[in-house]
Amino acid sequence: MTQEQMLEQIVKQVLASMNNQPAGQPEAVAVEGQVTSADYPIADKKPELIKTQTGVNFKDLSYDKVINGQLKAEDMRIRPETLELQAQVADSVGRTAFGSNLRRAAELIAVPDERLLEIYNALRPYKSTKDELEAIAIELEDKYNAPNSAKLVREAADIGYKRKRTKEFK
Amino acid sequence: MRSKRFEALDERPVKKDGFVKEWPEVGLIAMNSEGDPVPSITIENGVITELDGKKREDFDMLDQFIADYAINVENAEEAMAMDSLDIARMMVDFNVPREEVIKVTTAVTPAKMTEVLGKMTVLEMMMAQTKMRARLMPSNQCHVTNVKDNMTQIAADAAEAAIRGFDEMETTVGVARYAPFNAMAIMVGSNVGRPGILTQCAVEEATELDLGMRGYTAYAETISVYGTEPVFMDGDDTPYSKAFLASSYASRGLKMRFTSGSGSEVQMGYAEGKSMLYLEARCLYVTKGAGVQGTQNGSVSCVGVPAGVPGGIREILAENLLAACLDLECASSNDQTFTHSDLRRVARSLMQMVPGTDYICSGYSATPNYDNMFAGSNWDAEDYDDWNVIQRDLKIDGGLQPVDEESVVQARAKAARAMQVLFRELGLPEITDEEVEAATYANGSQDMPDRDVAADLKAADEMLARGVTAIDFIQALDRGGMPDVARSLYNILVTKAAGDYLHTASKLSDDWEVISAVNYPNNYSGPTTGYQISDERWQEIQDIPWAVDPESI
Repeated sequence: MTQEQMLEQIVKQVLASMNNQPAGQPEAVAVEGQVTSADYPIADKKPELIKTQTGVNFKDLSYDKVINGQLKAEDMRIRPETLELQAQVADSVGRTAFGSNLRRAAELIAVPDERLLEIYNALRPYKSTKDELEAIAIELEDKYNAPNSAKLVREAADIGYKRKRTKEFK
Repeated sequence: MRSKRFEALDERPVKKDGFVKEWPEVGLIAMNSEGDPVPSITIENGVITELDGKKREDFDMLDQFIADYAINVENAEEAMAMDSLDIARMMVDFNVPREEVIKVTTAVTPAKMTEVLGKMTVLEMMMAQTKMRARLMPSNQCHVTNVKDNMTQIAADAAEAAIRGFDEMETTVGVARYAPFNAMAIMVGSNVGRPGILTQCAVEEATELDLGMRGYTAYAETISVYGTEPVFMDGDDTPYSKAFLASSYASRGLKMRFTSGSGSEVQMGYAEGKSMLYLEARCLYVTKGAGVQGTQNGSVSCVGVPAGVPGGIREILAENLLAACLDLECASSNDQTFTHSDLRRVARSLMQMVPGTDYICSGYSATPNYDNMFAGSNWDAEDYDDWNVIQRDLKIDGGLQPVDEESVVQARAKAARAMQVLFRELGLPEITDEEVEAATYANGSQDMPDRDVAADLKAADEMLARGVTAIDFIQALDRGGMPDVARSLYNILVTKAAGDYLHTASKLSDDWEVISAVNYPNNYSGPTTGYQISDERWQEIQDIPWAVDPESI
């Protein structure tokens, strides 16, 4: 199977399992205050700061609710604010590159699984033109409010074109 | 006439190993190569405009990524001005705290770190490794695979491996479409052995992410990066695509580390005349720049290349140490087999076993050698007692402990039953009582009955198509009367929702506490400091069941 065929198959499979995805994007809620390594592990020391993607309080998660179907897969997923908190912990111990990764990750939560895989694939060598990558950067900015991830894609487009590793040079 | 001595020596296992003389022009040189760039940096308005002798306009994708993301520009000019020998001394000197060293080593260039490590002996590197490891205590990881892709055996072997002490486990496939079953099996089985084991399934990048999104895995590791642009292209990626992939994993609450290792560039013919250590340094800087918490490195699957050149095993240790100096988690290989000689394989591993790394092996084979689907490991299930005795001989903690047969058999049986229940409740092809019993007592897949592979693969495809997730596993195990196993899988989901385990060098305790370099940082500062083997742990390590008790005589 080629890369494209495999991706296509994955996309189809994931799409088929998407019918219980939340309809809208998670509400953006600003994170109150700052956390540091002193608040880590946040699940133990500041659990009240954590909610899941559908807004369920971390402390309200329970095994029984999973068993009786009250909590679904999306109710257990990490949300952007939690990744921001973890990025603050990373910064507090000097791991700023790791913090930046977690902030890009926070942005990418809103991107559906299959689109995420498509964008990753588009970033691979000779897969996209410079303009196609620019379009993805705009999509990340406008549709998903993901400026940090858009910046990464733009840089990939510039250096990829300069090094003749974009689709124009295939 | 031949010397009988030489004839005897010719029969030794080490004579079957491949060795090659240095050939720097094609990269067949471990470290200290004349072809390596002279360290340099120029910073203009906060932007690196020259890196290791190359101007920004001449940067390739790796240079630019490293310059823009991987070096702490604030401290760079000061750190680069330091004498490389002084940096090497700081690394070895236990009076200099780890965090002081990190300030310097994260602010210099790949060529500078290559030069620094070139000044150190293996003994000095081991001293430095003891201090520079990210997490306070060392740990260990294993492979759990088999040639038949038998999921019941994977679960049983994983349960046993957990009792033996591994905190992290990795499976892969013989047949790609078995991936979801193997991923389920290692997650379920390991957590039967000991709650809180993190598991992964190494398959093609996009598939691996997909399995993670569905909750079949807890982390990922086989995200490869390379030291030159042409090899990156052959790997069908760029530093930017890999950085995007890294963020994608974290966005789904999944821990991940990159993989790299010396020898891959030589093997693929694009070493650009540089030493293996310099090229690996570039890989590690890409990893650092992508903001990934850690790496699996130490040559890994190309180990035959550095092991064949002079100083190659020293170079592998230097790679691991460099990862630690970049403040990355290091799962330090001791993975793929590289020698016929038992002496060489132990000598190679002592470099990491003695100082301890975050994960000493990134693939101790928890099965017999013939069942290891990662092309065989330097350590196999047959070596369990040897590993334990080496720990006992040296009083070191290599992450494992001796176990008794009865506990192992019980855990294997329960893990196999859990798979039987899970398959029954999810409507997957039956796991028979005969298979459960075989897996309970098996040494390897030669002891397992064959399954209907076509039916399994069809069922695996259908399971993915109908969107079965970890939530379904939890409900199925609970329905099937195994709520304690189900609860462990539930706790993995909770762990992902909180994200604490995304941090550097994390592992989970058996009561689900996240233990990482954030809350358990390495604080070694000389004898009796840092990680110390407790009296209780020492008892565990020394208590091999077959030792003679003087009181019994």
